[in-house]
Amino acid sequence: MKEILTRMGDGERVTMSVSQVKEDLEAGTRDAADRGKIPELTAAELEQLLEIFQDQNRIVGVSPGEEVVLTHDIGTLRLMGDQANSGVGIPLSRMQGILIHERAFAADTMELGHIDYSFKPIKPVISMEMQEYELASLVTIVPLFYGAMPNLGTYFRPDGPFGNPSDLLPQGKIREAREAQEGAAEHAARDMFYISNKLYSVGCDGINFDTTAAAGDADFYATLNAVAEIKKAMPSLTVEVGMAGEFILGIHSELFFNGERLAGMYPHRQVKMAEAAGADIFGPVVNTNTSKSMPWNLARAVTFVKHTVEVSNIPIHANVGMGVGGVPVFETPPIDCVTRTSKAMVQIAKVDGL
Amino acid sequence: MPIAHVMASGMGGIRTAGDLVARMQMARRMRLPEAKRYVAGKLGVAVVDLSNEQVMREVREDLDIGIITSVPGCAKGMEAKFRIARLLDIEINSVNRFRAKASI
Amino acid sequence: MVDKKEILRRAAKSVLEADQEEAERVAREAVEAGIDPFLVINEGFSKGMAEAGELFERGELYLPHLIVASEGMVSAISILEAAMTQKKEKKTGVAVIGTIEGDIHDIGKGIVATMLRVYGFEVHDLGRDVPLKNFVETAKKVNADIIGSSALMTTTMTGQKTLEQELKKAGLRDKVKTMVGGAVVTQRWANKIGADAYAENAIEAIAKARELLG
Repeated sequence: MKEILTRMGDGERVTMSVSQVKEDLEAGTRDAADRGKIPELTAAELEQLLEIFQDQNRIVGVSPGEEVVLTHDIGTLRLMGDQANSGVGIPLSRMQGILIHERAFAADTMELGHIDYSFKPIKPVISMEMQEYELASLVTIVPLFYGAMPNLGTYFRPDGPFGNPSDLLPQGKIREAREAQEGAAEHAARDMFYISNKLYSVGCDGINFDTTAAAGDADFYATLNAVAEIKKAMPSLTVEVGMAGEFILGIHSELFFNGERLAGMYPHRQVKMAEAAGADIFGPVVNTNTSKSMPWNLARAVTFVKHTVEVSNIPIHANVGMGVGGVPVFETPPIDCVTRTSKAMVQIAKVDGL
Repeated sequence: MPIAHVMASGMGGIRTAGDLVARMQMARRMRLPEAKRYVAGKLGVAVVDLSNEQVMREVREDLDIGIITSVPGCAKGMEAKFRIARLLDIEINSVNRFRAKASI
Repeated sequence: MVDKKEILRRAAKSVLEADQEEAERVAREAVEAGIDPFLVINEGFSKGMAEAGELFERGELYLPHLIVASEGMVSAISILEAAMTQKKEKKTGVAVIGTIEGDIHDIGKGIVATMLRVYGFEVHDLGRDVPLKNFVETAKKVNADIIGSSALMTTTMTGQKTLEQELKKAGLRDKVKTMVGGAVVTQRWANKIGADAYAENAIEAIAKARELLG
């Protein structure tokens, strides 16, 4: 075949020649290897990726026996939420949404989440969340997580009590920005423990920390410390740590965990921090570049995730939602791209789940 | 979009054995191959049949650990989880809580 | 005898290492040696800043380091500017930047604002959740050359399209260049709404901003 129909990272359809696809696959894996200081994909793996793109069926998939666990995040907001949560606005209760995922969407695990989906706003309504979880856990069979985002940004002004690093840093107030982040991290870790403990008391199976490190290294630091305390006090509460970006943005830059600086870490080092904190499952993220092709993006994502899988001692559930893991940055991710990402992550990166 | 992933590579939840394999990852941090082998061993099926609807429907019915269609009398919700915990020899927090609350 | 190449190398290195004392020292030595200040800024300090920015985008350098590096560079440049015989325009341009109304994400936007300042732009950072009329009014007031808007949600990026329309209504659109960015924003979106440029990250934002102003 001389031409391959594929897409760009923003979802736009493009036609590429076989040699162009090969070049992009090689460039993508090289970029990941260079940034992360990790091995590139082998020639055989690149050939496997090429075959995935050469298959011009709309949907591709794995072979019987290769299937992986699919964990769902964002709770039921996908169904009853608004556009900002990639939701489709169906008026449903959360209970109905959870049962729909279990019984109609073939979910292997499911998640209860708050409409604001950040930890800080849960505190005043924790009783509501506890009772919702209690009821849901009586009628569900699949494991039921409770999920939320650490979202350290909610602790900075104007939403929280601490000075905002985005304001302080441009003024050259580095010390003040660092102190604000440290204070916010301490409060956030305390809140995350409090909420987890409350949910555990009503029989929660697990907590999902979604988009960890969205606000930089202090966000990651807060989460790791929370996870460590949670696992010490509640060892049977499963903890999943899902990331926000492919490297930890060093907004503080002098925060350490387990003796290692958190700023600048890529997924294969992030997972070791999660492990050290006691997390049970880790969800790496690789960001899709909208200006590059799908072959480039997917090769790059698979390179990062494959190495993370290899070095990890805990299950890896790669993030493959909109804009990550090789999936285009587009509100309705094209099915051809989504299934190719699925197949590549399972067959080449050898993930434990998605 | 998640449905596209389910079609392409998902284990299938309670249609098959996806929830059970997930439980082993959660309870004991098992990597996927080990989790599949463990569950297959407990169910008495081949690993490849863990995602085989035709095999798993019967297995789940026989073991009464929850099936996808709503059949009156079949274990649902907490009933199924009780049996799953026993079958897989794992602790499930919601099961333990129910047990404590019901003084079982 | 001061070697020109060595001065340029040390200038770049001082910024990369965020060594303000060395940056000032190099600037003074360059002035005493009569080396062209423009050359030292463009081929020395700016090169160091570009490399620092590149390392930041790769996660190998962090934001506080960039801030200190930029302070060193600004200090060194002011020493060089004092020695310039011809009037150099102090600013590369005037930029108004903010996160679109309804959106409170501002980490990336803040980094772009910082980098613009480092590269000689006069920056008016309107903050986050900025009403569209504020973009327009501030741009008029400060005679902006560039208006940059950031949106991280699909629900707020539509504000960037409306901003283009508001600028036309205010008779300002032909007088400014518009630039868009944010996690959900793409080149395709920029083309669709008629923005002059799209930037994927802070480094690209600087390059595109300088390109827009020639």
